[in-house]
Amino acid sequence: MLLAIDTSAGTSVAVVDLIQGVLAERGVADTMRHAEVVGRLIRECLTEAAVPASALSGVVGGMGPGPFTGLRVGIAAARVFALGIARPLVPVVSHDAIAFGHYRTGHTGALLVVTDARRREVYWSAYSGADAASLPVRIGAPALAKPADLLDDGFVHAGLPRLDAATVSAGDLGMVAELGFAAGHPPAADDALYLRSPDVTVSTTGPKRVS
Amino acid sequence: MTTWQLRRATAADVDAIMALETAIFENDAWSTEMMARDVADPGCYYLVAFAPDQPEHIVAYAGLQAAPRSPESDIQTIAVAEEARGGGLGRVLMLSLITEARKRGARETFLEVRADNPLAQHLYRSLGFEDLGVRRGYYQPDNVDAIVMRLPIPPADMAFTAAAAPVLVEPAAPTPAAPVQAEPAVAAPARELNRTDPQVHGIETSCDETGIGIVRGTTLLSNTIASSMDEHARYGGVVPEVAARAHLEEMVPAIHAAVAEAGIRLDEIDAIAVTNGPGLAGALMVGVGAAKSLSVALDVPIYAVNHLVGHVGADLLRGEDALEDAPLEYPTIALLVSGGHTSLLLVRDLVSDVELLGETIDDAAGEAFDKVARVLGLPYPGGPQIDRVAATGSPTAIRFPRGLSHQKDVAKHRYDFSFSGLKTSVARWVEQKQDAGETVPIDDVAASFREAVVDVLLTKAVAACTDLGVPRLLLGGGVIANQRLRQVARERTDAAGIALRIPPLSLCTDNGAMIAALGAQLIMAGHEPSTLDFGADSTLPVSLIQS
Repeated sequence: MLLAIDTSAGTSVAVVDLIQGVLAERGVADTMRHAEVVGRLIRECLTEAAVPASALSGVVGGMGPGPFTGLRVGIAAARVFALGIARPLVPVVSHDAIAFGHYRTGHTGALLVVTDARRREVYWSAYSGADAASLPVRIGAPALAKPADLLDDGFVHAGLPRLDAATVSAGDLGMVAELGFAAGHPPAADDALYLRSPDVTVSTTGPKRVS
Repeated sequence: MTTWQLRRATAADVDAIMALETAIFENDAWSTEMMARDVADPGCYYLVAFAPDQPEHIVAYAGLQAAPRSPESDIQTIAVAEEARGGGLGRVLMLSLITEARKRGARETFLEVRADNPLAQHLYRSLGFEDLGVRRGYYQPDNVDAIVMRLPIPPADMAFTAAAAPVLVEPAAPTPAAPVQAEPAVAAPARELNRTDPQVHGIETSCDETGIGIVRGTTLLSNTIASSMDEHARYGGVVPEVAARAHLEEMVPAIHAAVAEAGIRLDEIDAIAVTNGPGLAGALMVGVGAAKSLSVALDVPIYAVNHLVGHVGADLLRGEDALEDAPLEYPTIALLVSGGHTSLLLVRDLVSDVELLGETIDDAAGEAFDKVARVLGLPYPGGPQIDRVAATGSPTAIRFPRGLSHQKDVAKHRYDFSFSGLKTSVARWVEQKQDAGETVPIDDVAASFREAVVDVLLTKAVAACTDLGVPRLLLGGGVIANQRLRQVARERTDAAGIALRIPPLSLCTDNGAMIAALGAQLIMAGHEPSTLDFGADSTLPVSLIQS
């Protein structure tokens, strides 16, 4: 059994099991309240699933891509929960959860997952389909783009059926981790996928004169 | 007890490292060239340790070689100066290297240890290293055997407990027919909260320091501070997004280090305390999210506490072997001065009654130091730089303005501060000299600027003590490291018959121990825990001690 946490869009938390599926899932769509709600959602999921923290075999963290402030809250929560129960962290790319959910509900073939990156930009990932383990096969790494770039004929994944998603399901995220582990896939890198540099400018002109 | 800080070694540390290396490994020391090459190698990761108040004095170092994506890594070296032994520093260094090896994707790490060094072998075995073999006569010219040891590294974040070897738990083993309800989540009665000497884990992320501290009542067990200051230096000030990203990366290693230093297991914690404001919103959220998660994972209560009141709470902490001295008496005036705050508080009771008397209406004092340092062409952070340059300057060379000190201002802003005008005044003065083609007397400018800051801070703090009949003044915040500030504080409080208290410097800068200390005070005073619903509040008022 795994606890799964994703704050790359809203806040979503779930307890999942390879055999029994999603045992509990709670979410808050608000993209401004991750730090407020994450603790209660974790507790509610564990209570609803009637699973003590000590019975978990790992914690799944949604690594994004996601706008930075919120994304970090879930990753911090997942890493620290894993530390607290002395179990491994299983990083999963959040877009993989979106794609997994879409294939699970009947989609077949190629897919372009698109989410809001704020500042009039979007994150995208491209998939060729679902494999034998029902897991999405990512063929284009998560990346940042202007919305118009995706519509351009020169876009390498132009013409793929497109799914614009506003939420990420931690239940799907957790199942991607369960199925991926069972299939022997390596976990994603334990790196937050901000895909954007921090907003800073280095002064190259020396001290600024006071006007 | 002693607290140590770690940071990544740079080429500038090679001399200090070599001084230790040649003193400790008399006959088989590395050459300076080898050491310099390793320190500069991106495939290596070298750390140095120092006492917070003596950042120039390196007392230990340790190095890891872990090429990216290689499954194997090596502990290259570790050495702790005689004076710094016995406090668990070697263990903390080893844990930090193991954490880095894991981060880089290593699945195992190796080391060689002298067969005639049982203490070191014991440390490694206690960390989970196992003996792999012996290399005969490896250490020359002493002709001593080397024991080769190996540590399997778990694939992701695992808790290293102080005594036990890490045990790899396979994630998600299928649990086919196992009745989940056999172990109900809520059946265990909530542990009775230890209100006598609670062991509290404090998490502080309000600015650029990831602070994790552990206390037992008023006893300091550990104080780990990971600072992202180096990353901000190139920007000349704290960049919120850079700070928040660093908090996320430092959180787990800092908790590892704090728990190891305290010599306890994470599940022995009675409660969590976390800063939920005031501070940088994005930075605070990392700590709040982590703290709530840890609280649920360990099933312990959480206390959301005020960062500024935490600075006052720092004064309550004592080392395990400290002599008893006078406890903090109330009421007291507290002057908190840092890069983010300049506040004057009236503390009638730490856990129930703190009043804001005044604060800066523009820049914080520490910010003014940074900005003036930039005007003078000095690096960030500005406080220590200005202190250094000012040593040879005259504090009375230039009369810079004292903000909000005129009669008309005092009526409305008796205990408020303003440093923006002072900074502008310094910049104008320097520019006029430059435009006139004259040399700028940097030492005099630094000394005179510093004097203006110190003068206005202490004039107002002492006035508050006198006006309110409170003969006690407590200092806190990173700017307290400024020597002139402490000197003038002593002179003026002595003259006015005010008792002055200055916590140790490692507890003056932002840290998790002070947050844990305040949490422990709230618990001991019988306050109920916070619910899990509090948020990060960048402008949290100081009167709100617990959210």
